[in-house]
Amino acid sequence: MDRNLHGRIPTRIHLILYKTMSHSAVANHDHGNEHSKFEIFVQLAMLLAVITGVEIITVYLPFSHTTLVTVLMVLSAVKFLFVIFIFMHLRWDKAFCTILFFIGMVLAGFTMWALLQVFSVSNSIPLSSL
Amino acid sequence: MSSVASGAIDHHHDSTTSTGIPNKKLLMWAFLASDCMFFGCLISTHLIYRLHPPAGTPAATQVFSIELTSFSTFILLMSSLMMALAVNAIQKGNLKSMRASLILTIICGLIFLGCQVYEFNEFVYVKHLTISNSILGTTFFTLTGTHGIHVLLGVIWLTSMLIYSYTGRLTEKDAIDVESMGLYWHFVDIVWIVIFTVVYLLEYI
Repeated sequence: MDRNLHGRIPTRIHLILYKTMSHSAVANHDHGNEHSKFEIFVQLAMLLAVITGVEIITVYLPFSHTTLVTVLMVLSAVKFLFVIFIFMHLRWDKAFCTILFFIGMVLAGFTMWALLQVFSVSNSIPLSSL
Repeated sequence: MSSVASGAIDHHHDSTTSTGIPNKKLLMWAFLASDCMFFGCLISTHLIYRLHPPAGTPAATQVFSIELTSFSTFILLMSSLMMALAVNAIQKGNLKSMRASLILTIICGLIFLGCQVYEFNEFVYVKHLTISNSILGTTFFTLTGTHGIHVLLGVIWLTSMLIYSYTGRLTEKDAIDVESMGLYWHFVDIVWIVIFTVVYLLEYI
């Protein structure tokens, strides 16, 4: 806050500000939280829609395969993290929920990595085409 | 969350459990963690087999409709927003707002399912890609079909909760039930975020 602000604002506005600020601190805090949470949810949904749009445009861009795959994976991960931390409330919940879910995620990640290593692309060639 | 001063409920913590987390929420997170591994295996299988379709199988880009899938993705994202608003509403004890948000979530879920049924129909009868005539069809239908069943179960759960809310027994104290349902619904959304990129968009590069 600007320390000299009170000296510069007109008396009428000062009164309105005073009236507004004289409500119960707890109620104001909670109302602010609820309002900001609603705004966060709406803004996040818009952001997710925009990221999805960017993803669709990305596949048509004339860049290398590696670059495009990396960009898509990063954008997908960003969307994923936004949903779990904001929509799924992990940001406001106890850390144990995050740890529990990430145990599953890490196990899933390693399982996927292992499967992709064990069954390489050449293993998927149909027997009839050999 | 409602005012602490008015003696309202802390929806994120439960002092009566040893973890400080409501048991229902803990159970749901544990289930979702296990479901991650389930979908991880299905996605890996699709990734392994996608590069070698048997001769005569149409290319994935000729089969997929990016416009329809993008629309489905947008609908599912919006349903997640509605679900988050429904949880927020019940945590404030606003039953009317929760019902409205739940109805919109159900509608979005049904639109998504409708798009998937249309897509499957198009693949099978127009593009001749079935679950048994190619490995791409097998992995694709298994993966997206499993996801679709998750969405269907979510819609049934949402509808049940909506009907239950009209009995007058659903109050702010039961917000954890709606929140657990919300966690499941958001999970369905994040799985689709991965499927959309890995199964659909990667084919176009």
